[in-house]
Amino acid sequence: MLISPGNRGVLASCAVSVMNNNEPCKVREGRRYPRIGIYTGQGASHSWLWFVEVFDRIGFFDIAFLTETHIRGQGLDRCDVLAMSGGDTFAIAKALGPEGADSLTRFITHGGLYIGSCAGAYLPLHSSKEHLNLFNFVPAKIANLTRTLPEPQRLREKFCTAYGCSFIFHPVREAVRVGTNGFPPFKQAPSLNAPLYGGPPMIAGDSAQVLAVYSGFTEKTVFLVDEQLAADTVLGKAAVIRQKMGRGHLHLYGPHFEHPRFTMANQLLADAMLWDLRRDPVQVGDNTSDPVLLSGEDCRNLLRDIKREMSNSRVVAVGLETLPVQWKIGNKVYETAKIREFIEPVWQRIRRLEKLNQLILLPGQASRLLQAASKTTRLLRKIKGDTNRGVDTLPAARNTFEALNLLSTLFLDIYFRTRLNSFPQTHP
Amino acid sequence: MEYLASNKIAIIDLATRDIIEEELEDDLVLEKIGGVGITKSLYDRFADENPIVLGTGLLTGSLVPGSALSVITAKSPSTGRVSHVPLTLDAGMELKYSGFDYMVIKGAADKPVYLWVHDGIADLNDAEDLWGKDVWAATDRIRDLMGDDLIQVLGIGEAGEKGSDLAQISINYWQSGDRMGFGSLFGKKRLKLIAIRGMGLLEIAEPEEFVEHCAGLLSALKSGKTSGMKGIATMAAAMGEADIEGWLKPLTHKHMACFNTPVPTNTFVFLDEDPALLKETSVAEPGFLLTDISPLLTLKRLGLTAADTCRILKACAKYGMDGAAVAELSEKTGLKDPEAIKGSLPNLKGPVSSSGNAVFSPWAAVGNQEPKTWMRREAVAYIFGLHPIFALMAPELTEEKLLEISSLGTELELTSETLDEVIADITG
Repeated sequence: MLISPGNRGVLASCAVSVMNNNEPCKVREGRRYPRIGIYTGQGASHSWLWFVEVFDRIGFFDIAFLTETHIRGQGLDRCDVLAMSGGDTFAIAKALGPEGADSLTRFITHGGLYIGSCAGAYLPLHSSKEHLNLFNFVPAKIANLTRTLPEPQRLREKFCTAYGCSFIFHPVREAVRVGTNGFPPFKQAPSLNAPLYGGPPMIAGDSAQVLAVYSGFTEKTVFLVDEQLAADTVLGKAAVIRQKMGRGHLHLYGPHFEHPRFTMANQLLADAMLWDLRRDPVQVGDNTSDPVLLSGEDCRNLLRDIKREMSNSRVVAVGLETLPVQWKIGNKVYETAKIREFIEPVWQRIRRLEKLNQLILLPGQASRLLQAASKTTRLLRKIKGDTNRGVDTLPAARNTFEALNLLSTLFLDIYFRTRLNSFPQTHP
Repeated sequence: MEYLASNKIAIIDLATRDIIEEELEDDLVLEKIGGVGITKSLYDRFADENPIVLGTGLLTGSLVPGSALSVITAKSPSTGRVSHVPLTLDAGMELKYSGFDYMVIKGAADKPVYLWVHDGIADLNDAEDLWGKDVWAATDRIRDLMGDDLIQVLGIGEAGEKGSDLAQISINYWQSGDRMGFGSLFGKKRLKLIAIRGMGLLEIAEPEEFVEHCAGLLSALKSGKTSGMKGIATMAAAMGEADIEGWLKPLTHKHMACFNTPVPTNTFVFLDEDPALLKETSVAEPGFLLTDISPLLTLKRLGLTAADTCRILKACAKYGMDGAAVAELSEKTGLKDPEAIKGSLPNLKGPVSSSGNAVFSPWAAVGNQEPKTWMRREAVAYIFGLHPIFALMAPELTEEKLLEISSLGTELELTSETLDEVIADITG
C-alpha cells in the first residue's frame, strides 16, 4: 500500500507519537517509509546532525549521507527526500556546481522532496550571484538582504555575511515565534517556537505557498540589531514556504524546525515531509557493495575500539570548551562547543548498538571509521597543546571539523544500516 | 547493579595485559554494600596475586554531602596488613564516573606502564617516557598527552619507582592519605600512574526522594558544628593545636574542599607568590596544597617555619614520599635543617608509626575519639564513600540515614545488620 493523502496523516501521527520514547514506529505491512538523503558535504555545518536526531527519533532509518560528489553523481537517484541543512550557502552552491544543480532539478521535478533549512533554504531562492544562480528554483526574496549594514548590537562575528555587493544580516537569533496558516500539512499547530540561527525571513512569490510566518519574538530571542529594525525585517515574513516544481516539492525553513529541542516544530516538519512524499517509490537498486554482518565478539571488539577513540576525543573536547577559542572557517564561526555537536550524536548511539550486538557495515568501513576517529583525537589533542603554547590553531581546527564530519558520517551510516536491518521498513 | 553504579568491575593483569570486565552483581552489594566492603572482598579473591584494588563507595559522587571518597585496598609494605587508604580531592568522584566501580590490578608489568581509565574503557599504555619523572612532571605530561587538565592522576614519583616503603600514591600533584606505602606497590608492579577521567552518569532509583533526603542532610549540616569550619588549620585546632592557624596564616591563599564536601579540609599556601593575590598568578609553581595535618604538626614541633615546612612537603610530594613519614623520621633523627631533610628523602627508611595500627589510614584524625568509635566511623565512611575527616566531624551523617538514602538510591534493601557484618569483616 502506498501513502496517499488519506493515510499520510496516519503515518505522520504514528511517527510523531514515538518521538518521546525513542522507539521506532511499528512497521505496518505495506507502509512506505521515505528514503532520505542528508547532505553532509562542503559547506554543511553540524546542523545536519539535527536532521539525524529527528529522523532517528521518528524511526526513519533508511538514511543516506550525501556529499557534493554523490549529488553530482547518482546519489539522489534512490532518495525520496533530500535534507539540506544549515551551513555556508555559497560553499554548498559552489561545491554542487552545474552538475549538482542539474541533479537537484532532475530529482525534484521527478517527484523528489527537497527540505532546506537555514542555508539549505537560501540555496534555491532566486539569486543573480555566481554559483547561487544555478539554483533559482523558488521565486522568493530574501528579506534580510541589505546594501547598508545596520549597527550590530552583539555577536558581531555572527551578525552578517557578504552577499555580492550586498549583505545578508541576521537581526535575531535563538527561539522566535512562528504562526502557521492553519492549512495542511501544518494544521496541527497554530503557532509554535523554533530557533533561528541565520535562516532567511522570506517574501514569497505568487507560486509559493506560505506555510508559516514569523509572528513574534520570545523571551529567548537574542536581538543582534535594534529591536524595531528586527521586527520590521522579520515579523510577518514567510518562515516556511512550500513550492511545487515539476512533480516534486521544495520545503524551505528559515528557522531550524529540525532542531531536536523543538519537538512541535519537528512534528510539523515530519508531517509536511510525509504529505509531499512522492507516491511512486523509486525503483533504483543500491549499487554499493554488499554489506556484511558483524556480531558477537567481533562486533563487541569493534564497538569497543570505536568507543575508545570517541571517548578520547570527547575528553579533549570537553577540556577545550573551557578555553576562549573560536575559528572562522569559510563564512562560519566555529566555537569549541561545536566539536561536541559532532561527537555526542555518535557517542549516544554507541550504547544502542552495544545493546543490539550486531553491526551491518560495508567492506572497509570499519577501518575507515577507526582511522577517522583516531585522526580526530590526534587533531583535538594538537589543538589543545597548540592553544596552551599560544600557536595558531586554525589549520588544525579546519582539519578537525573535516575529520569530525567524516567520522560522524561513517558511524551514522553504519548505525542506520544496522537499525534498518533490525527494524525493517518495507518499500513495496 | 542498575543504580548508583556503572555496573562494571575491571580485572587488570599487568603481566599479561589482559583486562577482563565483570558485572557488579546486586548480590555482592547486598552482602558487602560497597566501598571497602567490596574492595576487601575482591582483595581476598585475588590475594595470591598481590592485588591493588580500587573501589568507589556506594554513595561516592552523589549529592550526599561529603561523598568524595574512593578507596585503595592492598597489603601495606609498611605494616604487612591488608589496609585501606582514602582517595579524596576530586579523584574519588572521578573514579565513580569513569565507567568502573571497582578495579583489581594484579601481576607486574615487565616494563613501565600506565593505566588510562575513561568512559568504561581501561587501557594499559607504555610509560617509558613517564618513568623517572617526578609526580608533578608526570601529572603534567599525562594531562598534556591526553589533552585534558581535569584528568585525575594517581601516580608515583621516584620513591615509588625505587620501591621505598615510604612511597605514596599521590593524587595529581598533592599528597594523599596513603600512609601505608602503597606507592611502592605501584613501583614494584611498574605501574607509574592511573589516569582517570569520569564523564559518565549515574542512575538513581528514587531520584526525587533521594535528592530530598540529601537536601535535608545538607540543611542539617549547615546548622551543625561543622558550619563555618574551613582550612587545614581548623582541623588542627580540633586536635588541640589551635596555634597552627597563626603559624600558617601568612602563607594562606585559599581553602579547598574535596568533591561535594561542605568543609574545605585543604589549604593552598603560596610560597613564591603573594598569598593575598586575587588574580591569576603568572608564577608556574606558586605554592602547594596542604592535605595532611600530621606532618605540619610534627615539623612545627621541630621548630621549622611554616614556609620551610611547606617547602619540605612540596619536595615530598614531587618525590612521591609520605610527608608524615618524613616528618616522623626527621623528628626521630633530630634533623631540623630544611635542606638536609629534603636531601635525606632518597635514603629514608622506616619503620614509622605514621602508618598507624589500624586497617584504615590514620590520615583522618580529628579530635580525640575513642579508637573503637574512630574505627567504626572510618569503616562507615569507607563503605559509603564519605570523606573520612568530614565523616568524623559530622554526626548528622548517621548510619541509619546513610542506609535509608542508599536504599532510595539503589532500590536494594540494605539493613543495619548487614552494615554491622561488613564492618566486623573489615575491622575484625
